[in-house]
Amino acid sequence: MNAIPLALYFTASGAYAVHFARPGSAWGPTATLTLVAGALAHTFVIGMQTMQVGHIPFVGTTGAISAFVWLLALAYLYTEMTADERSMGIFLVPLMVVLQTIPALGNSVAARPPVLESRWFEIHVFSLLVAYASLALACVVSVTYVLLFKELKAKHPGVFYARLPSLQVLDAMNRRTVGVGWAFLTVGIGVGVIWLAQLQPGAVDPRVQAMSPLDPKIFIVVLCWLVYGFGIFARSRLGWGGRRAAWLSTVGFAILLLNFVPIGYFGTETHNFY
Amino acid sequence: MHLSLLGVSHHSAPVDLRERVDFSRRGVPAALAVLADTPGTAEVVVLSTCNRAEIYTMCEDAGRARDGLARFMSEFHNVPEPELAAHLYTMTGAAVTRHLFRVAAGLDSLVVGEPQILGQVKEAYAVASDRGHTGASLNRLFHWAFSVGKRVRAETGLGEGAVSVSYAAIALARKIFGRLDRLRALVVGAGEMAELTATHLRAQDVRHIGVTNRTASRAAALAARVQGIAVPWEAMIDELASTDIVVTATGSASCMVTRAHVAEAMKPRRDRPLFMIDIGVPRDVEPAAGDIEQVFLYNIDDLQAIVRENQARRQAQVDRAELLVEEEVDGFMRWLRSRGSVPTVVALRRRFEEIRQAELARLAPKLASMPPDARARVEEVTRLLVERLLSTPTERLKAAPDEDAAATDADTLSRLFELGLGEDSDDDTPALREARLGSMASPSAARNR
Repeated sequence: MNAIPLALYFTASGAYAVHFARPGSAWGPTATLTLVAGALAHTFVIGMQTMQVGHIPFVGTTGAISAFVWLLALAYLYTEMTADERSMGIFLVPLMVVLQTIPALGNSVAARPPVLESRWFEIHVFSLLVAYASLALACVVSVTYVLLFKELKAKHPGVFYARLPSLQVLDAMNRRTVGVGWAFLTVGIGVGVIWLAQLQPGAVDPRVQAMSPLDPKIFIVVLCWLVYGFGIFARSRLGWGGRRAAWLSTVGFAILLLNFVPIGYFGTETHNFY
Repeated sequence: MHLSLLGVSHHSAPVDLRERVDFSRRGVPAALAVLADTPGTAEVVVLSTCNRAEIYTMCEDAGRARDGLARFMSEFHNVPEPELAAHLYTMTGAAVTRHLFRVAAGLDSLVVGEPQILGQVKEAYAVASDRGHTGASLNRLFHWAFSVGKRVRAETGLGEGAVSVSYAAIALARKIFGRLDRLRALVVGAGEMAELTATHLRAQDVRHIGVTNRTASRAAALAARVQGIAVPWEAMIDELASTDIVVTATGSASCMVTRAHVAEAMKPRRDRPLFMIDIGVPRDVEPAAGDIEQVFLYNIDDLQAIVRENQARRQAQVDRAELLVEEEVDGFMRWLRSRGSVPTVVALRRRFEEIRQAELARLAPKLASMPPDARARVEEVTRLLVERLLSTPTERLKAAPDEDAAATDADTLSRLFELGLGEDSDDDTPALREARLGSMASPSAARNR
């Protein structure tokens, strides 16, 4: 079922590319409408899966990736509609296509092991997924910032100059999305720690027993929390806005992305529940 | 009725003559009032901008109208007719339509693609239409022109990119800061270029404009003109720290603002951008200052390079825009011709109907002996016969390829069927008016026909 949203995201990414190449054409609204259709289809898929297994399908990397792409689509559409700014779709929607390929290929919903039968689990995963979606947006905004910055510094306004909003607008968007992302990251990690503290004393599951900050998945997310936390501190105290903040967002998200594909599948020993 | 145009523009006349025939001096409404009273002129619009003074009319006789308008132009502006004649251009029919569409699209402007002209055309039309000087033809022509102007801007890149140094600087500032109304600007120098850029900044509602110059009195004078504040020359470097946009345009022989000055100014600013526009020759700001993070330094050559690129890009769009205009001219002229054929069509139908009624009246005694449904059948058959006979000629009349063909067709039909057209030109019956209204389709609908 995940193939239907994938097909729509794929079509939308093509439309965003044409819109970027020929701004002002009818492809912009077409791209947005296709993405809205993709997000709706995705909502339907996740809804059906929730009814099928009786809980939101967050379990396992595949389910988490699908939910992440869905949240990313919603977050991007929200940004596009509130900022009336369509030029970033070409950078973001292809990322959604690549990630959505994973749930589309392995189209099964993992059953929830008993250890995850908890409200804490849902808050933990949902907060982190919202954080990831917001930080993904921050990354895209930051990449566009750097591209526009380079054109302006090189005194040769070109493709990005004609299509992107101003540096200040991009910087403000980066600040906001990092702020939201970091707040949800904090909640997600905090809830995880509290939940683990509750489980660990009498846990039967060996994975829960062995879980520690040295597990790659936990290590990466804490590292990201520190990177983004430093970014927020540096912006307010050291005046690290603009390009420095953009680089921090990009690097932070590159690290975070590791948690999805390589580490989510192969790296983690104690943090895989599927 | 014919479309007719008489005018003067930057293509045909030097600025001193254009100034003398500027309608805004005595007021466009006054000119419209005089023109509307001219015999043979049914509709009129006066377009007056700093680069053109044009009169668009719907008139009965294009030749007479041309002489009348030239005389009016000379008398209204008090410019001797022979002096004016060398610089006037006149057009009729499709040429008028093409000209107005090109004007509205910015193709005829001094700076090709400039956007103000469309607003000026709209304003000129509104002034005439509010006073009742326009009718169906000019209403349609001008609305069509507005949509052509919009279409050219939407479908070509003709209006994109700044084509003057000061606009290029403003566009760059917008790309760095977004909104300019919360920014502080500092203008260093009080010469012509400094003033021009300061005026543009003021027009963009920049919150604060400081002006500094070696001669304090000149700084104060420019500050007063652009509603800014004079800054003492010695405080210039200190002022940099709190400024977002710096414009330097002095005649100084050496760089007054060094990299060290800018680096010092950037410290308290942290990562807040500083946009420096150095339009002085020789340069006022040390080029190495542009290497500092968040400092965007553009000199006059950088800005001129951007302007040249934008001009080249606009020029590349001109051919596409001209094609588009041509397509729209065809659409409008088809509409105008179909409207021109209405009196002939109406007269032709009336003639045939008269014949049918006369024949039915002649046969009335015989028809009276027939049953009612048979009489109704005869009525129906004769009506359908007339309809079928007239259907193809009506279509052909409306689709005449040009005005001459339309006039020839109308003359021939009038002669063959004794329609009496041209003998009674005031014959504007309700049926005729209704038929004309019916033929007024929207530009897009007409394009699709």
